[in-house]
Formats: sequence, C-alpha cells, structure tokens
Amino acid sequence: MKKRVNVNRRGFLKSLAAATAIGTAGALNVPRTAEAGEGKLATLIDLTRCNGCVDKESPACVSACKKIKAGSLPEPVDPIPVPFPTRKVEDWSKKKEVAHRLTPYNLIYVQQAQVDADGGPKTLFIPRRCMHCDNPACATLCPFAANHKFENGAVVIDPETCFGGAKCQTLCPWQIPQRQSGIGVYLKVMPTMMGNGIMVKCDLCTDLLKEGKTPACIEACPQKAMSIGPRSEIYARAEALAAKIGGYIYGKTENGGTSTLYVSAVPFDKLDAVVHRGPGEPGLGAVKRRMAGTDGMGKAVLAAPVIGIAAGVAGAFAALSKRKDRLKKEKR
Amino acid sequence: MSEYINEEKNRVARHGALELAEHWALALSGLALLLSGLFELPMAARFKITSLPGFGWSGDFIVSLSIHYIASVVFIAAAAFHLVYHGLLQERGLLPQEGDLKASVEVVKTFFGKGEEPPFAKYLPEQRLAYVGMAFIIAVVIITGLVKTYKNVYAPDLSHGLVLWATWLHNIFFVLFILAFAGHIGAIVLKPNRPMVRGIFTGSVRLDYAARRHPLWLAQLDASAPALAVEAVEALESGETAAVMTEEGSANGADDAPGETPGDTARPAATKDER
Ligand code: HEM
Ligand code: HEM
Ligand code: SF4
Ligand code: SF4
Repeated sequence: MKKRVNVNRRGFLKSLAAATAIGTAGALNVPRTAEAGEGKLATLIDLTRCNGCVDKESPACVSACKKIKAGSLPEPVDPIPVPFPTRKVEDWSKKKEVAHRLTPYNLIYVQQAQVDADGGPKTLFIPRRCMHCDNPACATLCPFAANHKFENGAVVIDPETCFGGAKCQTLCPWQIPQRQSGIGVYLKVMPTMMGNGIMVKCDLCTDLLKEGKTPACIEACPQKAMSIGPRSEIYARAEALAAKIGGYIYGKTENGGTSTLYVSAVPFDKLDAVVHRGPGEPGLGAVKRRMAGTDGMGKAVLAAPVIGIAAGVAGAFAALSKRKDRLKKEKR
Repeated sequence: MSEYINEEKNRVARHGALELAEHWALALSGLALLLSGLFELPMAARFKITSLPGFGWSGDFIVSLSIHYIASVVFIAAAAFHLVYHGLLQERGLLPQEGDLKASVEVVKTFFGKGEEPPFAKYLPEQRLAYVGMAFIIAVVIITGLVKTYKNVYAPDLSHGLVLWATWLHNIFFVLFILAFAGHIGAIVLKPNRPMVRGIFTGSVRLDYAARRHPLWLAQLDASAPALAVEAVEALESGETAAVMTEEGSANGADDAPGETPGDTARPAATKDER
C-alpha cells in the first residue's frame, strides 16, 4: 500500500534522456578513485544509474560491503550481558544475512521508491549508508571520542573504544549507526551498567582509502552509479549533473552539509514520501543540523576566559585605587 | 580593620560580597555542569531518568549541551576573574604555605579526636591544599572543555589525538571534580568546620569561633585592635582553650543565633574593656 507520486512525466522523461546522455559520455572519464585518500573527499551517488542490480541475487555494493566488513566483527560473547534496567540486547550476529536494512553486519542497503513515470510505475533504487556529514553531532559529541570525523571527511567509529551507548544513533538525523551487543570494551568494565556493545556503520572503507584504494561498494558497482573524489570536484559534478537532468541533490545542505551527494531526477521529498521507513531504514526528508542552534553559545564559551580576565583586571584596578584613596585619607 | 568585627552581634566578616558572588557563581554553575555533563553521557534514557516528571529533557543531548555551554560561560568567567583579580591584588590566603602538608595531617587527626588543633590563620592548612587541588581540577576541565567546544563550533575534524586527549582528560577530571565536591561538602559537614557554613551564605562567622580557632587571622585582620587576637592566642596557649572547646562542644553545634552561644561568654572580656 505504498503511495504513488505523480512526477511531471515530460520532465521525468527529459531528465531520463539527459541522464543517459551524460551517463554514457561521462562514465568512463570520470575518476572514481579517491586519489590516495588525501584531502577532503566526497562521494556522488547517481540515482539515474543505479538499477538496484535486479538481475543479481543481491546488489553488488551490498555484497561487496558485506564481504569486506561483516566478517571483521568479532563474535559476541555468549550469553550477552543483559543491560540494567532496559534489558534491551541487540543481537544481529545470527542474522548477518539481513540485507534490506542497515544492521551492524549490513552497512549499506538499497532502498526502493515506486514513482509514476511515463511507461507506468517505475522503481528507483537508492543505496543508503552513512552520509559522512560535515559537522556530525554523532562524532563530535561522542563522550569517548570513539566516533570521529577525519580530515578526509570520513566519519569513523573505533570499535576498540566504542561503548555502544548509542548516543550517535540518537543524534544522527537518519539514525544510521547500528548496535551489536556483546562486543567491545564495555564487557571489561561494568557490562550490565555501562554501555551495551559497539555501534557500527559505514566508515567509507577508511583503511582502503589510506592505501589509495576505492571503497568496496563504489568499486563493485557495475553501473558506476557511485564515485568518490576530491570534494570540490564531486560537488561540481553533482551540480552539473543535476543541472543537466533538471534534477535534484540530496546531502548538500542536509544536516548542515555532508560528503555524500545523491542526484536524482525525482525530487527527494517525493522519494521520502514513498520509501519504506523504520529502524535501520532512513528517510530522505529535509533535515536540519540541530546542533547548529548551540554554536552561538559555544562561541560565548570560547569568549568567556577573555570576559573573566578583563573583569578581573578592571576589578583589581578599581580595588587598588580605592585602597590608595583610603590610605591617603587615613594619612591626612 | 575594626569594621570587620561586630562584637555586639558576635560576628566577624569572613567573605566580602565579591567573594560570595565568586563562590556561588562557581558552585552553582559547577553543579549545573555536573548535572548537564552527566546527561551528555547516554544514561538518561537508559536509566529511565527521562520518565521522571520534569526530566523529559534529560534524554535530549542538544538540550544538555546547551545547559552545559551556558553554565560554562559563568564557570569559566568566574574562575578567570578569580585568578586574575586575587592574583593582581596579591591575596594569597588560600595558597598553600610551607609545612601545610604535615600540618594538614595533624589537623585531620584532630577531626577524629586525636590531639589538639594548632591556632589557625583565616584558612586551615588542608583547606589551602584542597583549594589548589580544586583549582587544578577546575583548570583541567576548563581547558579540555574549551578544546571540546572549539571542536564542536569550528573544527569537527580536529586531530583525533587532540580530541582523544581532551575528551578523556575531561572525563577523568569530571570524576575528580565530583570527588572533590563530595570532599568539600564532607569537610564543611564536620563539626569543627560547621561554623564556616554560615560564612559562605552570609559573609560573616561567629567572632568567638574565629577567636578560638583562627586567632592568627584576627590578628592579621585587625591591627588596630590587637588585644582581641593576643588575648585569644594567650588563651589558647594557657590551655583555656580546652575549656572553651568543651563548652563549644556541648553547645551541640548551634552556631547561628547570636547571643545564645556559649561563645558569648567565652569571649575574652578584656576586648570589651579595650573599646
Ligand atoms: C552547594 C554547595 C556548596 C556549599 C554549601 C559550599 C560551602 C562552602 C563553605 C562553607 C566554604 C567556606 C570555607 C571558609 O569559609 O573558609 C566554601 C569555600 C569554598 N568553596 Fe564551596 N560550597 C559549595 C560548592 C562549591 C563548589 C561546587 C565549588 C567548586 C567549584 C566550591 C569551591 C569552594 C572554594 C574554592 C572555597 C574556598 C576555600 C576552600 O577551599 O574551602 N564550593 N564553600
Ligand atoms: C565542573 C565542571 C565540568 C563538569 C563536571 C563537566 C562534565 C562533563 C561531562 C560528564 C561530559 C560528558 C562526557 C563527555 O562528553 O566527555 C561533558 C561534556 C562536555 N563538556 Fe564538560 N564538564 C565541566 C566543565 C566544562 C567546561 C568548563 C566546558 C567548556 C569550556 C565543558 C565543555 C564540555 C563539552 C563541549 C562537552 C560535550 C561533549 C563534547 O563536545 O565532546 N565542560 N562535561
Ligand atoms: S549520517 Fe549520521 S552517522 Fe553518518 S556522519 Fe551523519 S550524523 Fe553521523
Ligand atoms: S549502486 Fe551499483 S552496485 Fe549498488 S545496487 Fe546500485 S547498481 Fe548495484
């Protein structure tokens, strides 16, 4: 009972045609590699190209990601400690094959959106994973600095220091990070009282980037729907592509800007209205960076030492001159 | 100066309005930092604090961050003011002096009924040590907090090494802050120290208390009326203190209402004559 969205058909057709045109022309001379992973990077996900790998058992990006990541987690302890008082254990270790949503063992999945096009209903395929936001509260507010944004733009959770408190999931507007209980340092502290596993999400294959290689999903895609490169280039390409197809960009302003740009011929609010949503299944709506509201106060905090010092100097001089006056009077 | 001492009311001024303002700005913002800081850990929802009436906000990390920021402004400004103001005026009564460590051990022993207290200046030796400890803890939470804030506002991709240091030092020192705060409250709850409590609220303490326990302070304070202090020291030395102390002890810690304390009678009569 999915809602249907009526997209302007002629516009859609036109953009489809345009997309195919730049698609074929641009695909091969487009650099998909991260150029040794240096400098600020960004990724482009071209929804006019992704066909969801419908001919395959599972989308190539999803299989590639699973292959490289799912096995990298240690097995959780058995039995998994039951956290007090919520008693909420999240164990995906026996459901590693799940591929229709994000899980600790599935860091990318392909979302579907049914829209009305010229030849009847059409399905759009949308690979979803962490957006690697520009100023992500998930990372900056991690109480253990286990989640961090690196200079190249990748937002990475260190499984060695993460306690699995899921603060990052709460702060992420798409609730991307997923928890696996029974793994991590929390086991060595007070497993039932503090922490509850580790949080897992896409890390942009940061290890591959360091070796100058391309993230597994991008490398694997037979449609060349995804690419990675210097941020300014990717941004420029996304703009150019969107302009050519009369399409739309998602990820440029969302959550204060991200390093993942989706380009689509269909407006994203229309896609947002039809994609299936739930835990591990993020939407595509307009999201603000809530933490931006605290930046003004943060600046006041940074100015506070100066305010205190200035007041201290002024106060001390006022007190000194009072003392002098009094001494003078007493002498008289 | 004698303006500090009010014999009629059995009071001596211990803290000026400015010092009180400093203490309470630091104390109240410090408590707000503690509470909001704890809510910045993912524990409010986990421990169902969010379901307590009036605590729905505790699970919202942006709200607790805002409170933490606002309290930080007060906390940092008060600490910086304190350092610069009293530094420039060379007011060093709270800085440790030689022999404070040894003296502290002796004084702490007396809290458990062993031996007798020596005469004190304005602050006790262990108070001066605690002050430096607290100042150090506060300095570390402030410096690491500033790094964390800078990262949040300007540099989310600050070097991970620096962020790790700032975060973990902040965490370790906020725990030390909680311990120091507990120690602070523990110290003022101790019976011999209790008369100081009214001081931090009203600015003045009982004169008889000061004369008995802080004679060196009174001597310093009031060069124009040295008799009071001399008297007190003499009293201490001549063993009269023991009497004063037991009397005080039997007054079951009543320390607020003027006139009803045995201190009034214990106060050296000579000072009255002097005036
Ligand atoms: C709400 C709780 C608090 C109460 C009831 C309280 C009470 C007191 C009292 C009675 C004194 C007087 C000592 C004297 O007269 O010599 C004092 C001093 C002091 N307080 Fe507090 N305080 C509180 C919270 C705090 C906090 C949170 C801090 C730190 C941020 C703090 C830092 C200090 C310092 C530095 C002194 C100066 C001398 C010393 O170390 O004893 N206080 N406080
Ligand atoms: C009495 C002093 C303080 C206490 C008890 C305290 C406690 C805490 C606690 C428990 C946390 C959560 C754990 C964490 O994120 O590391 C925290 C976070 C934080 N604190 Fe404090 N804090 C104090 C002072 C300050 C000051 C003075 C500043 C600012 C200069 C500050 C800035 C921050 C920031 C920005 C965070 C949020 C997390 C982050 O950005 O990484 N804190 N604090
Ligand atoms: S998408 Fe979510 S998890 Fe990924 S960086 Fe942004 S806020 Fe963090
Ligand atoms: S992005 Fe590429 S690999 Fe992933 S589903 Fe689409 S076509 Fe397949």
